[in-house]
Amino acid sequence: MIANHLKELYDYRNLIWQLAWSEFKLRYKNSILGYFWSLLEPMLMLLVLYVIFSNLMKVQVEYYQLFLLLGIILWGFMSRATNIGMFSIVGRAGIVKKIYFPRDIFVISSCITALLMSIFESLIFILFMVFFKVPVTINLVYVPFILFFLFVISLGLALALSALNVFYRDVQFIWQVLLQIGYFATPILYTIDIFPENLQGFILLNPIARIIISARDTIIYSSPAKIEDLLFMLLSSIVFLLVGYIIFSRLEPRFAEEI
Amino acid sequence: MTAIKVEHLHKTFRIPHQKRTTIFETLTGVFKPPTYETFHALNDINFTVEEGEALGIIGENGSGKSTLLKIIANILRPSSGSVTALKRLTPFLELGVGFQSDLTAAENIKIYATIMGMQKKEIDDKLDDILKFAGLENFRDTKLKNFSSGMQVRLAFSTAIQTNPEILLMDEVLAVGDMEFQQKCLDVLNEYRKKGVTIIFVSHDLGAVRRFCDKVLLLNKGKQVAIGDPTEVIDKYVYSKVETSPLDNNDPELDESKVQNGQDDLTSSQTPDKIAEIVDVKFYDKFGHANTNFNSLDPMKVRIFYSTKERIEDPVFGIALYSERGKHLFGTNTYLKNYPIDSISGNGYIDLLIEKIPLQTGKFLMTVDLVQSKDYVPLDHKDKQYSFSVIPIGYEEGVLGLSCSWVLNSERVV
Repeated sequence: MIANHLKELYDYRNLIWQLAWSEFKLRYKNSILGYFWSLLEPMLMLLVLYVIFSNLMKVQVEYYQLFLLLGIILWGFMSRATNIGMFSIVGRAGIVKKIYFPRDIFVISSCITALLMSIFESLIFILFMVFFKVPVTINLVYVPFILFFLFVISLGLALALSALNVFYRDVQFIWQVLLQIGYFATPILYTIDIFPENLQGFILLNPIARIIISARDTIIYSSPAKIEDLLFMLLSSIVFLLVGYIIFSRLEPRFAEEI
Repeated sequence: MTAIKVEHLHKTFRIPHQKRTTIFETLTGVFKPPTYETFHALNDINFTVEEGEALGIIGENGSGKSTLLKIIANILRPSSGSVTALKRLTPFLELGVGFQSDLTAAENIKIYATIMGMQKKEIDDKLDDILKFAGLENFRDTKLKNFSSGMQVRLAFSTAIQTNPEILLMDEVLAVGDMEFQQKCLDVLNEYRKKGVTIIFVSHDLGAVRRFCDKVLLLNKGKQVAIGDPTEVIDKYVYSKVETSPLDNNDPELDESKVQNGQDDLTSSQTPDKIAEIVDVKFYDKFGHANTNFNSLDPMKVRIFYSTKERIEDPVFGIALYSERGKHLFGTNTYLKNYPIDSISGNGYIDLLIEKIPLQTGKFLMTVDLVQSKDYVPLDHKDKQYSFSVIPIGYEEGVLGLSCSWVLNSERVV
């Protein structure tokens, strides 16, 4: 069954790409200037946070600009993928009611849209890397895996949210609150060692926290990722995707009636 | 080979009295189980469509036609039963699905064509053709929001017809549009038929269904009433819209009460001193049911109900037939037909028998007259107040329906 579905998705790869790309273009209003405007948001965010945390709060972290920017980009991807994904079914009522193709195509293409946006932002990160002369090491081989886990976890979340949002329209508000809490409960602005030992374990239950920490270690600090972190990420991506798909496929048959 | 198989298909919709759309409502309402209205939209539908066959689905509004089509298209899921499609389905339920007003014509074509199942290479090859066919070559990079609705429909249509369907599902929405557009649609359908595409076609246009389909399915309130030969099934549909009780039960007393209740007051109140009046006119079909829809060339009986206050000597009944636009088509009366009536009194009716309705298609209006022949005193005149519709049975054109046939005689006659 899974193999069948994967084959179906493969047959629709062109559609997935078309939907993702058109959504990406729409987000940036089809203009060159639009792309630059969109970079402004993370840059301003970075500026504000950097000023506050490095000067006022006296955070002492090497490459704090990069540390912050990477955290913002990775968290931003998850937040965007779930936000765009959450509306991918509800916002396409016209298509859902009039034609059939596997509905998860909408969600997958939303995550790809978010990915495109994040890749765009990463260009700035790479510029920063070059500017601060961060050494490039072999530890970068971990990065694709870490990013893949992030993508899968976000997809799992987006699948569940998109389906739930069809039936419960307040899911969107609840998710905003959860994202806000998550933003501060994840070591994006700070290093995890500001917490006592027992609280650290609790923070690390959040796979996104491990993803951000491992990404920083491997990209900025030239150290290898911890095996236990990788395993935890692998396991949680499987769980998130599975649960996401179960919720999605349970609710999917009634989409056209409920929407 | 069978292309589509529908077996014991049921579809029920649960319509909640109070819809809960939020988690909050669901949690607060946990101890109050929601109440539902159950609506049986489709009830035990069974049929098969063979490869290359065209099936028409007809029925009143709300009979479940579109629901059935959506279930076949896999948009809705059956409550029980099954639908098996052994070929690739291409639904034309609506034109321009997924159009985004902020994207350009070319981008929209790409997305729409992809949704309709075309391959990337195919789309790239046909992009120019599509724009040309829609007559929009110069607007390739114009955003869709700057298009008129007619341009959008043209764009959608010319994209849609580039697909290579194996099974085509078509909803009546395609019938929206001007004559030329409808004709284009039919041409495309004919093209597909020639290529051997299996077609399922939902329509209110009985003429098109009859012309076009090999088989017709009639639905009524979610039930499968008939399936089979188009002529028989359409007959059944046209003549099943019974408006009053059958002929035999139609006693004049009923109509008398109608008059007394003042249902026809509009005309009679203006002339209270009218001594005779035409109360009603009914059209009866070949099954003896009062009806307003008739197949072309079918028999019809026009029944004129009258009511008089006193005995009237030598009355003459007349009718005149008009096209919808008021063109006088035909007129006759009892005098011209040499059918003298000595007198009438009280309530009663008179029938005019028409062997074959010599009309093709359209709505027709009837004027009915009652005069006293001796000195042509007009007693009542109902101008174009009664109407009936004629549904075409063949491909012929025009207003008139002549029953005629061709005979070729190849020997030279001197």
